[in-house]
Amino acid sequence: MIGHPFTYRSPESAAEAVELVSAAPARTRVLGGGTWVVPECNRGESAPDLLVDLRRAGLDRIELVDDVVHVGATTTYTALMSSAIVLGHLPMLAAMARGITGGAQVQSQGTIGGSVVAARPQSDAPAVVAALGATLVMAGSQGERRVSGEAMFEAASRSCVRPDEILTRLEIPVQGAARWGYYKLKRSASSWPIATAAFVVDQHGSGSVTDARLVLGGVSGTPVHVDVRSVLVGGPLEPGRVDEAARLVAASVHSPWEDELAPGSYRLAVTHPVARRAMEMAMQQEDS
Amino acid sequence: MTGTEPVEGTTIRLNLTVDGQDRSAAVDSRSLLVEALRDGFGVTAPKVGCATGDCGACTSRVDGLITKTCMRLAVSAEGSQVVTTQGLAEDGELSFVQEAFWSEQAFQCGYCLPGMIFAATELLARDPDPTDDDIRWALSGNLCRCTGYEAIVAAVRTAAARQREHLQRD
Amino acid sequence: MTVQADPRSEARAFTGQSLRRHDGDDYVAGRIAYTDDLTLPGTTHVVLVRSEVPHARISVDTDVALARPGVLMVATGRDLAEHVGPIPNAMDPAPTGGQALELRVLPNDKVVYVGQPLAAVVAETMQDALEAAALVKVSYEPLPHVLEAEDALADDAPLLYESWGSNVMLAGTAGHGDVEDLDTRSAGVVRGTLRTGRGAPAPMEPRVYVADWSTRSRRLTWYGTTQAPHPLRHSIAQFLGLRERDVHVVAPPVGGSFGFKNFGHPEEYLVCVLSRLLGRPVKWVEDRASTLRYGARDSRIHYTASFDADGRVTAVSCDLLANHGAASATGAFGMAFAGSLAMPSGYDVAHFRCDWRVVVTNKGPWSPLRPFGKEAGALLMETVMDAVARETGLDPLEVRRRNWVKADQFPFVTATGLELDSGDYEGLLDKALTVLDYENVRREQELARQEGRYIGIGIGFEVLPEGADIPGALIGASDISTVRMDPSGDVTVLTGVTSPGNGNDTAIIQIVADRLGVPMDAVSIVQGDTDLCPFGFGNVSSRGILTGGGSAALAAEDVAAKLRGVAAGMLGCESPDRIVLHDGLASVVGEPERALPVAAVAHALYTVGYIVAPDVEPTLEATRTFKMGNIRHHADEEGRIMPFSTFSNGIYLSVVEVDIETGIVDLKRHVMVHDCGVMINPRFVTGQFTGGVVQGIGAALTEEVLHAGDGSQASSGFKTYLLPRANDVPAFEIQHQVTPSPFTPLGTKGAGEGGVACTMASLLNAVNDALSPLGAKVEELPAVPHRVLEAIRGVGR
Repeated sequence: MIGHPFTYRSPESAAEAVELVSAAPARTRVLGGGTWVVPECNRGESAPDLLVDLRRAGLDRIELVDDVVHVGATTTYTALMSSAIVLGHLPMLAAMARGITGGAQVQSQGTIGGSVVAARPQSDAPAVVAALGATLVMAGSQGERRVSGEAMFEAASRSCVRPDEILTRLEIPVQGAARWGYYKLKRSASSWPIATAAFVVDQHGSGSVTDARLVLGGVSGTPVHVDVRSVLVGGPLEPGRVDEAARLVAASVHSPWEDELAPGSYRLAVTHPVARRAMEMAMQQEDS
Repeated sequence: MTGTEPVEGTTIRLNLTVDGQDRSAAVDSRSLLVEALRDGFGVTAPKVGCATGDCGACTSRVDGLITKTCMRLAVSAEGSQVVTTQGLAEDGELSFVQEAFWSEQAFQCGYCLPGMIFAATELLARDPDPTDDDIRWALSGNLCRCTGYEAIVAAVRTAAARQREHLQRD
Repeated sequence: MTVQADPRSEARAFTGQSLRRHDGDDYVAGRIAYTDDLTLPGTTHVVLVRSEVPHARISVDTDVALARPGVLMVATGRDLAEHVGPIPNAMDPAPTGGQALELRVLPNDKVVYVGQPLAAVVAETMQDALEAAALVKVSYEPLPHVLEAEDALADDAPLLYESWGSNVMLAGTAGHGDVEDLDTRSAGVVRGTLRTGRGAPAPMEPRVYVADWSTRSRRLTWYGTTQAPHPLRHSIAQFLGLRERDVHVVAPPVGGSFGFKNFGHPEEYLVCVLSRLLGRPVKWVEDRASTLRYGARDSRIHYTASFDADGRVTAVSCDLLANHGAASATGAFGMAFAGSLAMPSGYDVAHFRCDWRVVVTNKGPWSPLRPFGKEAGALLMETVMDAVARETGLDPLEVRRRNWVKADQFPFVTATGLELDSGDYEGLLDKALTVLDYENVRREQELARQEGRYIGIGIGFEVLPEGADIPGALIGASDISTVRMDPSGDVTVLTGVTSPGNGNDTAIIQIVADRLGVPMDAVSIVQGDTDLCPFGFGNVSSRGILTGGGSAALAAEDVAAKLRGVAAGMLGCESPDRIVLHDGLASVVGEPERALPVAAVAHALYTVGYIVAPDVEPTLEATRTFKMGNIRHHADEEGRIMPFSTFSNGIYLSVVEVDIETGIVDLKRHVMVHDCGVMINPRFVTGQFTGGVVQGIGAALTEEVLHAGDGSQASSGFKTYLLPRANDVPAFEIQHQVTPSPFTPLGTKGAGEGGVACTMASLLNAVNDALSPLGAKVEELPAVPHRVLEAIRGVGR
């Protein structure tokens, strides 16, 4: 039972939602799917006066617009897993969604936008959307705002989405022919991800790498972008170079995340194998 | 704009179709859906094991989707169709999954059954012939502390087989 | 046709069959009512205000909270001390030299752990109570706190209970023989330390208690999640100063308990005093964070063991230090005592000594937890056996064969004074090896190592003292059962044991239906109601079938004897011994045409008894119990008693793969062979073991309650206290061995605690076997990834 009394609203458009959240942002929480915020309120860790539920705000569409996939903020993991657009153009995002734990119940209620806004270090989505080069699109009383790259996540549990804004969609360029790998290290099925690595690599027809993005999750307060281009670009994706690239990652983690499930030293220690395994997955991938 | 207006203080009236019956009850506006079902509607098949979405004991089907009802606000479910394990038995006939959970002794204390039965039912609706790994993954949103899962996996296998036989007969 | 000498020895229709649960349809269809599903008219709701600090003097201001609408009472420890005394102890450490425990339902002036309830708000609704609880003002005068047992032993350690003068609740020694100077008189010595993290029972259903004081009848009715209704009734009566008959305890089906729902928790008594003061039903529902505050294990063992040139262990000495957290009235401290007695397991070790101490710290209290501390015996001895194997170069299986108590040595008195009833430990291993091709797996291990993969094979063996009868406590190795047949032939069993979901109710029906020759659905069973059922000690110490089933069998035999007498008269058969009760019929042996329905026989006794059976008392009801033949409470010359009636045992072989880059342990195979004597319903028995195994996997690999330095509990939910899920565990390979107990009526040994201890041991040994080429060793469970990685990286440091 939630102790603190609250008003509940489920606006029917993004504009209505913006109006609601901008009235008293500090006392308002937004529900994407509610799988994080509702239990948090129930434990008394958050006591908002107003809960704005986006379930009816029409923000759950997936569209392909000029080689960019627009993923509505309230798109559930189940929707991601079963969307032909996502399966065809963002296979890494579909794979991440399939691997979300908590069962079909959580996959069909949890939303990609909710996870991005919550910006929890131990969740799957931030590193994956970062590696996919996503742009977050926010709506606020001043209009629309777009953020991409490292600026999407400011600190542990703080995304770039301001309290008086709502995240409306993610814009993610299609992966095209890029190979990818996503590796998630967990202690067990009940555990949050301890360390993740999301890897996207573009190659010439010859196999020579033209671009690569590696983003680690779980190991730091925010996703860690590792510049592996210096090692990988210009040559084939092969074990020696992959291992060399993986050796770069530990140096990129400046203050390792630490929580009940694993100390920072452990997270630091596993960055290398986790990154390598994600890259190996891309290496072993059949040409799409 | 949709919202639920207070009746008196923090009490609201919530309308649901529960296990096939259109019903209305006064509930506290702060209730989780599972609390509204149990305390407001007197439907006690869904259980509260954790209230954090981890154990699955509160699982019911809400508007066609299996749902951990501790992660839904009651007010957000206004007008919804809710089916609990109690309503899963059509006309009192146990479903294939329920029958198999009984015959395979796939429970001990029974507290996890709502999550396990709905997860299994959902799996078999989209995959009539799952592997053991598929079954274990499909059950993984739910916790059982008694059985060690062995018998639950067996029950899902058995239910799948019976369901296939049934479909072939028709 | 041959006439059987004893018709009662004829094949049982139901015993030994894996029948499904008699009430399983109600379970799967969500129709079972647990305590939280019951609603009494006029129920009030309790919310507890909990300590935010680990150790402090407190003063509590309740005025603002009390002024809230809907609030009926805000009670502090001081308020309640005017009405009630301390909580009666389920087991008392004082008579054996321990501290006097005087624990209150709410503390008077001092809190000793984060989360300790310190005030109770009672209101008309849960919401009212929640809002008011947030308004209770607590002033803390902080005291230094201590979280680790070794720190709590320091001279300058803060004292949780000042009157004790130390933090040691109880200490003792188990064993006999000479364990001094081991180095000088043996071929070799192994030494080490074993640590087990704090585990939690974590049943899916948190505790729920409802007390209803009737101002009219002046009786208290209590509904709740308990394993032991009768002992709890006694205890509540003592607490409230009522006659025992004026307390009525009802135990609805529970959602798992594993020891946690035995009695002695403060809230069990708190609701009683609140209801009595208010004259209304009072309900308290626990949340998950509270459930996880109750823990167990959290121990360390230093050990030294000597062995001879043949790999025979000649002596073991160890020092067990147990971190109990705050004190509790549940008798959980007994886990350290039981752990010491469970040593040296099923090994023939002549010289053995365990010095054990139970220490309090500023963590939540210990709770009884399956297998009640006895895992210490398995962990110690299985670690020693593997260490001896490494030192001698013998195969670990061979070391065990050389050290086991042999099948022809039973009954065997261990160094700690337990008389092991029966067993065949080598037989267990032989069975396990029919499932696991050991030589082949060793070859695969060698090949994998050449590829840089680290496979480990681990052995875990356990002997579990069960069916406890503890002198001075309401924990006994007997239960009373009544079997009653109505004129219609319907049978009711009333028994003192409860069924926390293990199916023992169905198994008791199987036992009774067989003896009365009636179908299963003719028999119903009543449990968990102290107004209806005869006295029982509840469901503890793996005794549901042992005691409840045994006494029900005896009572059913008595009723059957009467039925035979009546039927003999009606069928014109000279001897009741020639009457067989089977398949709903009473018939003459070998003459199936001379038969009557059992129901007709029953009806005849009730209605025309003076005609058909003039010599038979006109009742079809019997109440029986029995005494275990092997329990001994008079201490022997060394002060040892024999408080356990049976010793089930098992051996497990685990194959794991350790990812040495991440420390992740993957359990590939788990071969389980168990011997709990006769099995009434093999599937229920198997379910106990598979459940125990997964609890053991959790204890060995994932489950650990952690505290932050400030005393707060870091593991407060299922995202931080990691229970294994279906995809964490493999399919198990299960075998049973049946060595009947000579001391129990049905030859059963109790199955409720099996699998946890030997799984912990086999996984620890498997991980260390995998790591052995690296020279690394894990000595602390759970073997979580960072611990395994530290062990690997620590090599050569």
